[in-house]
Amino acid sequence: MARSSIGTAREGPGADAGVTTVETDSVDALRDRVRDAADRRAALRVVGRGTWLDAGRAVAASESVSTRDLAGITEYVPGDLTLTARAGTTLEEIRLATAAHDQWLALDPYGGDDGTLGATISTGSAGPLLTSFGSPRDLMLGLEFVTGDGALVRGGGRVVKNVAGFDLTRLLTGSWGTLGVITEVTLRLHARPEADESIGVPLSADADVARVRELLRRLPFTPYACEIVNAHLARRLISIDGAAAIIRLGGNRLAVTAQRAAFAALGSVIEIQPDVWQRLRASEGMGALVFRLSTRPSEIARAWTAAQAIAVDCPGTMIDATPARGIVRCVVPGGANSVSSLRRLWAGESTMQRIGERLTPELWPACSPSAIADRISQGIKRTFDPHGVLNPGIFGESS
Amino acid sequence: MPPTVANIDQDLADRLASIVGERRVLFRPSELLTYAADGLPQYHKQPGLAVFPGTRDEVVEVVRELARREVSFVPRGAGTGLSGGALADGVVLIGLNRLSRVISVDAENGLAVVEPGVVNVALSRAVAAYGLHYAPDPSSQAACTIGGNVAENAGGPHCLKYGVTTNHVVALTVVLPDGEVVSLGNANGEHEGYDLVGVFVGSEGCFGIALDITVRLSRNPEAIRTLLADFMSIDAAARAVSAIVATGIIPAALEMIDQATIRAVESSIYAAGYPTDAAAALLIELDGAAVGLETDVANVEALCKSNGARTVRIARDEIDRARLWQGRKKAFGAMGRISSHLVVQDAVVPRTKLPDVLAEVHAIAERHRLRVCNVFHAGDGNLHPNIAYDASDADETARVHVAMGEIMTACVNAGGTITGEHGVGLDKVPYMEMIFSADSLAAMCALREVFDPDRRANPGKVVPLHSCREWHAAPSARPAKAPARMPA
Repeated sequence: MARSSIGTAREGPGADAGVTTVETDSVDALRDRVRDAADRRAALRVVGRGTWLDAGRAVAASESVSTRDLAGITEYVPGDLTLTARAGTTLEEIRLATAAHDQWLALDPYGGDDGTLGATISTGSAGPLLTSFGSPRDLMLGLEFVTGDGALVRGGGRVVKNVAGFDLTRLLTGSWGTLGVITEVTLRLHARPEADESIGVPLSADADVARVRELLRRLPFTPYACEIVNAHLARRLISIDGAAAIIRLGGNRLAVTAQRAAFAALGSVIEIQPDVWQRLRASEGMGALVFRLSTRPSEIARAWTAAQAIAVDCPGTMIDATPARGIVRCVVPGGANSVSSLRRLWAGESTMQRIGERLTPELWPACSPSAIADRISQGIKRTFDPHGVLNPGIFGESS
Repeated sequence: MPPTVANIDQDLADRLASIVGERRVLFRPSELLTYAADGLPQYHKQPGLAVFPGTRDEVVEVVRELARREVSFVPRGAGTGLSGGALADGVVLIGLNRLSRVISVDAENGLAVVEPGVVNVALSRAVAAYGLHYAPDPSSQAACTIGGNVAENAGGPHCLKYGVTTNHVVALTVVLPDGEVVSLGNANGEHEGYDLVGVFVGSEGCFGIALDITVRLSRNPEAIRTLLADFMSIDAAARAVSAIVATGIIPAALEMIDQATIRAVESSIYAAGYPTDAAAALLIELDGAAVGLETDVANVEALCKSNGARTVRIARDEIDRARLWQGRKKAFGAMGRISSHLVVQDAVVPRTKLPDVLAEVHAIAERHRLRVCNVFHAGDGNLHPNIAYDASDADETARVHVAMGEIMTACVNAGGTITGEHGVGLDKVPYMEMIFSADSLAAMCALREVFDPDRRANPGKVVPLHSCREWHAAPSARPAKAPARMPA
């Protein structure tokens, strides 16, 4: 599962300069477009709203295909708690439509809500709500996509439980547009809880990371979100000096009151504004280097220490850990100094899994090797994109 | 009668016996009869040979030997499946129930590594001391295996809140049909790349055999409350289901039991004290942190009553709770008393369509003069209409088949799917074309061929054979249309 930035306003002219983009407003037009590219063996960069073209590895394509105009909610029956929308629909549109019925899509990828559903699902991006609601793979019920040779394929369905056929939905989710261009998705929604509150707990020392994780393990409930942010990020988000835990609680009022009290075991609980989550998701600046360290949750303190070592070398680094999932996300200010520091720190044997989100070309190989080099992944890639025209190189595979 | 499938002969039996031991290879038709059926009694397919490896190395060696001889095989767990998925028609059946070790438990991270033959409930027992359990709980959990659960992406009543098997598997070691052993997923952190674990779970034995399975365990809830609400109409019960779900409370389970099922259960040894004059009952379980749970219980009780519940009973203690659940979990067994044969479906419909679809199911049964019982996962719209009948009565059997087809059509027309947790297997292959286009089915066949190019693993299951045309021939054979619209 990838967990990445979507849809911040970082569209830059430099990202994919010189690429011809064709926007399609119908599935048929999209199929024609992909088929035409396949016939010419012309590589395609698959794009949503194009707000995030500098993430992932560089794609070797001189043309692109966009799904931004393939937008709109196609089916939403609130009583079923499911929603079907075309790929170009923004998360914001879904937020507004579902809020009207006191429901929500519990998915908050880094970046913001102006990115598209198609991009979020293609990249398998999640945010702080991962702690309680899981990744997009856990929320997906079905999807439709156009394969690399223009076939229109559907996996899953529109109901909340379904084992008919092989699971193409999970396969496509997080496949970064390399197996097909997603045209429509069906997702599970949740009803809004009676109470949804955010609190902060200032942490005294780095050792507190392990304490937070230990507390989470013992609590009789799972908070909606629980992130630990380093001092630099805490200052920006909640104006306090020093690292802090920021926690989102949901449920009935009585339950949420008890949940707040449980977190007092960590330290003094402070009130924070609910917009802290949007600001956390949108905190990285232009040109930042973004990657995650990933371990078993019991090893979270080790990952945090590794991230701190990077922050020492690269001042201004923002660190945000998800202790329940063993993830530490680092946002390092861009620039030659950061690049050379990371190269030095990442030289030699790695004892920690690293997953890149946004890096310079020279950092990618040091950060994470290709994730689809195995025989099965290669076979799947050839099956769904026989001419290799969809996002070649985005997984670091040699193409 | 000797097996008719090529390459299954005494020489193969001898060779496999040299791997697993003579007692672990069955080759005589009389011995194989036991393995001619699974949990769905209307199908009988006898394997040509059955082999029961006892270790992971033996499984790999058996699979490699079958690959060398180009022999097809069907993996089997406990044989409790309800779709005919583990039936081997003349080919080799590989029984995995002897691989029953819980290899390791990492309580701190809530993970366990198990062999495929570990029985579902045995895993929960093995980790109970850590305050953990394995959440997916099919009704057959006292017998079914985790390997079989992985193959079928099994569900169960508590999947409404906790998710189905695929939400609980993080990594797998798999022997592919050609004998290669591969690792899928990542138990130590995030997984990058394609979700091959997600693809393998629910592949119904067509992609290989899981040798070990790393599952995520769930914390035992601090408190559990179980309610039984009875209604004088199915419609009212269905409305209560929607009302509960709409509040944001996610019950751990939300099951509906109709009158015919209640009566079958109450006249059996599994009697649970369900009111036999009710049109339907809802079995509702709420769990989680103790503080706040009573608020949810009170809310659910009020919603049941405002939607027409006659009485709402709350289980007094663990014994009372177990009794209420026994009626639900043993409903199939109880229905076995009604007639000699039973068919069960597994369609899922959008929750809001439940009242209409249930009415239609009853109308269909009435039209064909059949008795249908319904006991199902109402919270996620997963129906299990059962029809009890006498298979020696040709006329009744024919009516059952027609009715089953009509019920499936009604569910699909309501926007549903053909199977929610039992799998396609053999039983639902004919329905696959009702919900998937030719291209989608061809894509599934092509995916299968990545894992099993020779199509030797569980042949004839899941996707209709005629759908497995040359995948890439079709799309590019289409005439080219006008060029794509260029941006203004």
